[in-house]
Amino acid sequence: MPPVKASAMKTPFTPLSTICLLTAFLLIGCKPKQDGTDASGGSQDATIAYVTNGVDPFWDLCAAGVRIAEKEFGIKCEVHMPTKGVVDQKRIMEGLLAKGVAGIAVSPVDAENQTTFLNEVAENSKLITQDADAPASKRIAYIGTNNYKAGRALGKLVKDALPDGGEVIIFVGRLEQLNARQRRQGVIDELLDKPNQKLSSVKFDAVDAKNLTAEGSKYTILDTRTDNFDKAKAKSNAEDAITKYENLRCMVGLFAYNPPACIDAIKEADKVGAIKVCGFDEQDALLQAIKDGNAQGTISQQPWEYGYESVKMLKNILDGSMPEKKFLEVPFLVVTKDNVEEFWKKKKEMAELGKQ
Amino acid sequence: MAAARTPLLEVRGLCKQFPGVRALHQVSLNLHQGEVLALIGENGAGKSTLMKILAGVQPADSGEYHIDGEPVAFLNVRDALASGVALIHQELNLAANLDLAANIFLGREPNRLGFVNDKATHLKAAKYLKRVGLNLPTETLVSDLPIGKQQLVEIAKALSCDARVLIMDEPTSSLSQRETETLFEVVHDLREQGISVIYITHRLSEVKALADRVTVFRDGQNAGDLSQKEIDHDAMVRLMVGRELSEFYDRKIHEPGKVILELDKVRSPAHPHTEISLQIHAGEIVGIAGLVGAGRTELLETIFGVTPALGGTIKVNGQAVHPKSPEEAIAAGMALAPEDRKLHGLVLPLTVRENASLASLKRDQKNGLLNFKAEKEVANEAVDQLQIKTPHLEQVARFLSGGNQQKIVLGKWLALKPRLLMLDEPTRGIDVGAKREIYKLMEKLTGEGVAILFVSSEMEEVLGMADRALVMHEGRIAGELNRSQLNEEAIMQLATGTSLAA
Amino acid sequence: MKKNTLGIFGLLIVIFAVTALLNDKFISAYNMQNLIKWSSLYAVMSIGVAFVIITGGIDLSIGSVVGLVAVVLAYMMKVKGINPAAAIITTICMSGLIGLVHGLLITKAKIQPFVVTLCGLLIYRSLGRWLTDNQSLGPVPLEGDKGYVNLELINQLDFIFSGKIAIGSFNLPTPFLFLLVIGITAALFLNRTIWGRYLFALGNNEDGARYSGINTDNMKIIAYVICSLMAGIAGLLFAFELDSVQPAQTGEFYELYAIAAAVLGGCSLRGGEGSILGVIIAAAVIRLIYNSINMLGISTHLEFGILGIVILLGVIADEFLKSYTAKRAAARQQD
Repeated sequence: MPPVKASAMKTPFTPLSTICLLTAFLLIGCKPKQDGTDASGGSQDATIAYVTNGVDPFWDLCAAGVRIAEKEFGIKCEVHMPTKGVVDQKRIMEGLLAKGVAGIAVSPVDAENQTTFLNEVAENSKLITQDADAPASKRIAYIGTNNYKAGRALGKLVKDALPDGGEVIIFVGRLEQLNARQRRQGVIDELLDKPNQKLSSVKFDAVDAKNLTAEGSKYTILDTRTDNFDKAKAKSNAEDAITKYENLRCMVGLFAYNPPACIDAIKEADKVGAIKVCGFDEQDALLQAIKDGNAQGTISQQPWEYGYESVKMLKNILDGSMPEKKFLEVPFLVVTKDNVEEFWKKKKEMAELGKQ
Repeated sequence: MAAARTPLLEVRGLCKQFPGVRALHQVSLNLHQGEVLALIGENGAGKSTLMKILAGVQPADSGEYHIDGEPVAFLNVRDALASGVALIHQELNLAANLDLAANIFLGREPNRLGFVNDKATHLKAAKYLKRVGLNLPTETLVSDLPIGKQQLVEIAKALSCDARVLIMDEPTSSLSQRETETLFEVVHDLREQGISVIYITHRLSEVKALADRVTVFRDGQNAGDLSQKEIDHDAMVRLMVGRELSEFYDRKIHEPGKVILELDKVRSPAHPHTEISLQIHAGEIVGIAGLVGAGRTELLETIFGVTPALGGTIKVNGQAVHPKSPEEAIAAGMALAPEDRKLHGLVLPLTVRENASLASLKRDQKNGLLNFKAEKEVANEAVDQLQIKTPHLEQVARFLSGGNQQKIVLGKWLALKPRLLMLDEPTRGIDVGAKREIYKLMEKLTGEGVAILFVSSEMEEVLGMADRALVMHEGRIAGELNRSQLNEEAIMQLATGTSLAA
Repeated sequence: MKKNTLGIFGLLIVIFAVTALLNDKFISAYNMQNLIKWSSLYAVMSIGVAFVIITGGIDLSIGSVVGLVAVVLAYMMKVKGINPAAAIITTICMSGLIGLVHGLLITKAKIQPFVVTLCGLLIYRSLGRWLTDNQSLGPVPLEGDKGYVNLELINQLDFIFSGKIAIGSFNLPTPFLFLLVIGITAALFLNRTIWGRYLFALGNNEDGARYSGINTDNMKIIAYVICSLMAGIAGLLFAFELDSVQPAQTGEFYELYAIAAAVLGGCSLRGGEGSILGVIIAAAVIRLIYNSINMLGISTHLEFGILGIVILLGVIADEFLKSYTAKRAAARQQD
């Protein structure tokens, strides 16, 4: 007969169960104290959320606007910054839906392909887009800069910097985002003196188009290089452009960290003045360069307005008043040497506020 | 046996070469229906290689292989099984978490359209289990069976594939006396049923009890055959070693010196409830005999600090040491040439020089820097003293033969001049020439006052080399035999735990 | 091993020559300076992971350690105004300590290196983000920062870690000097000390090494400490080079670059093989590929693809070379 194995009695405190218990305590300990924000209904005690498309000082400035509006309208708004693109953004929004937030203002990472998911969000909450739009989705409205128009304004800055024309290169984090493509197209159209396009139906040049130029234009857009948000890559892209194109006259940085990377590279290559920089957004290094005359200027979207307007619109929606138009255009500001000091001061105030 | 009949299985002129080793050279073998053929030879004689070729595990380099007089060429084990040749491995290949029926038909489950037909499986399985004398419910889990019964299940599994030739590789090496007897009965029954068996063993006493005929191998070649009438111990040994025993195991008995190693109530993690006490003197060679799994290797590893002792005292040269790692054991003057040379003894991808010097780098260092001169000297000395056959010191150890690899291991330790040298199966997989040199070295070291403790499954080695033998059984020392008491019978009795009173 | 390094060196020369032929600006002093700078930064990390890979382990936390060190450095110097020298020593010690914890968990608690360092990857990244509220910050303080009083000293450090030394008309990036010192020390350690030999032995056969009296646990711990230390030094170099640290992104995925360089440089993930020179050259090859892609105007979207193919081909070639030499050695033995 086979020997029968006695099954050993398990003690309740195996290492595994101990670890489980410890983990549970850890999680409970880390959880911030909630002050009853789970009630739904009127906007008075509702929670809304502001979701960015990444991590950047730009979004801290937006957060400042959120804070101002929170106080002004008496509503609670969570700010979330996904770090890993589409996947992370989706994860965060799903979490928000699960928590039952009353409204979400989001900057979609990849608007075209997120439509289905955004519709799902729109069905379960009040969805508006900000910074970047998702026109195909059922979002209630879009708050943002007219990125095409802003791109054209940036193109004008380039024209001011290079009145006699020359070779221009564009740097950007990634081109999957609609706003990045609109900005880029605005710059290209302005430099090549193309007619104005309507924001909703912009026709784009190929993302890897090289040496774009046009009959009668003095400008050539050499290339558009992407870096996928890797700052080391952004800098080495700028350096490589300096090496490759000896007639390069102007670098255009479409994402906030691009212009400072360009400025660094130009300084290190001793090409200050020979290569101009035109940028987007308002990183300190860029503002300093504008102040010092090392950069032509920048287009600021006045990010705090995004945060402020988003909270305001969601609050109104929750209180029952739908926005009249689908697109709320936040005016952008052209910052040059003339107004940089004043602008920087305002930005510092906002940055301070956004950190709180 | 009618010589005129076509043999069931026959090979002729079989050759097999491994890098650096000639495993088989012009080997022939034949087997008739219903015959039990014992295959004997020392470690490294080529038995395992031949068996693997027969069962389709490895291909031969050249030679002929016939079954029923028809030439065959097996590409894999499946081909061999289809022709009725099955190998029962030394390490059993059963799935412990499945029941007997499932194991017997693993991969060949009777099924309808992919659904296992449980009833048919169990019915058929019971039939085969009966043929090997196992009257157990077919739902029994393999993990609930002792090793001896598991072996019978393996045989039942082979029978279920319509095996006509069973190749059994040292089937009794881990069996108790009773289990061994049961196995013998089953083998006899199988012979009655017309099944042929090739039986590989180290135990010469088993051969007489079981075999119709003996084929002896030496150094990868046929050394001779013995018919049933000719089988006797001395004749077999003569064919195995190729000369008289006294020539081969050349021992001068030294007057034992002071105690080098002393164990008092030492408990090893493998057998935490048994206490082991022993003493080894300078200039003494002590053999440890026993079945596979009796705890011999575990004892050496505990002494050497690989698996530190749970309790008791270990003294070297009168000083208490409690090695928690080989590092500490070495510092106390011990050395161990482990059983698994490739896994534990050497770093195969490193060169002869790097292997030979590995243990003495620390002693010869200059503030942490390698002492290349001393390293070379150590390696050169090992090569000279042990006659290691290598083209140069920078040869990678992997490409040397088993004997030369073992010599590197020994050379590594001799450089440290240990007081106690432990050898675990020192001559496994080694050709006769290298074997003799290792025996000579052991003899020489004892002359220099080194104490030697060795484990061996090879009966002749224990009988030939040991001043006294400790026989282990189930983790404890079942008995001690001095040189005048040493014989195969006595060792087997102690090893299988049958005659505690004797 | 020598042959191996020769192969990767050949690859470097080929890519270099092809790019130089197709674009004459490629060999300009300016481009070479950049190439040397970036190669040095990545090579320092790769040398660290080579030690771990030689023991048969892996470290996935390198990128997060780079990020954490950069974040903590910037936080201490800029936000807290702590003495910059103290900040640097603290961050270096911190990275060493991280390696020590990895090593202890792997050897004493017997957790697989993959798991330990994967958890490290998550933990350090999150620590950096939590410490700074995920705010970008630079190591060099601006007016109004607490650390502004140390600006002069920080600028000196900035020069040490990311400056350029003029040699005639050539400006040698200082990270190269770091690489030189670290590379030579590492090569000496691996090839001239008993501990280096122990690492190779245990990487090839841990039990064999242990049975030969080597304290394999301690050697493995040392390897993990070296790896994290190198990641820490790389973190300092990156922080000063980029002048801006993003807690969520700085150093992200850099462990993969480091492991790729180590493998391309002749380290086997099975352990027991590797050469420092090979790893440095391989790190340079990877940077060179990036540079060439930009120089030749190939779409940036193809970068990873090209990199993957080069590494794969390199490793396949290496494997063929090895089996060829093994066969030759075996044949020699039979003669």
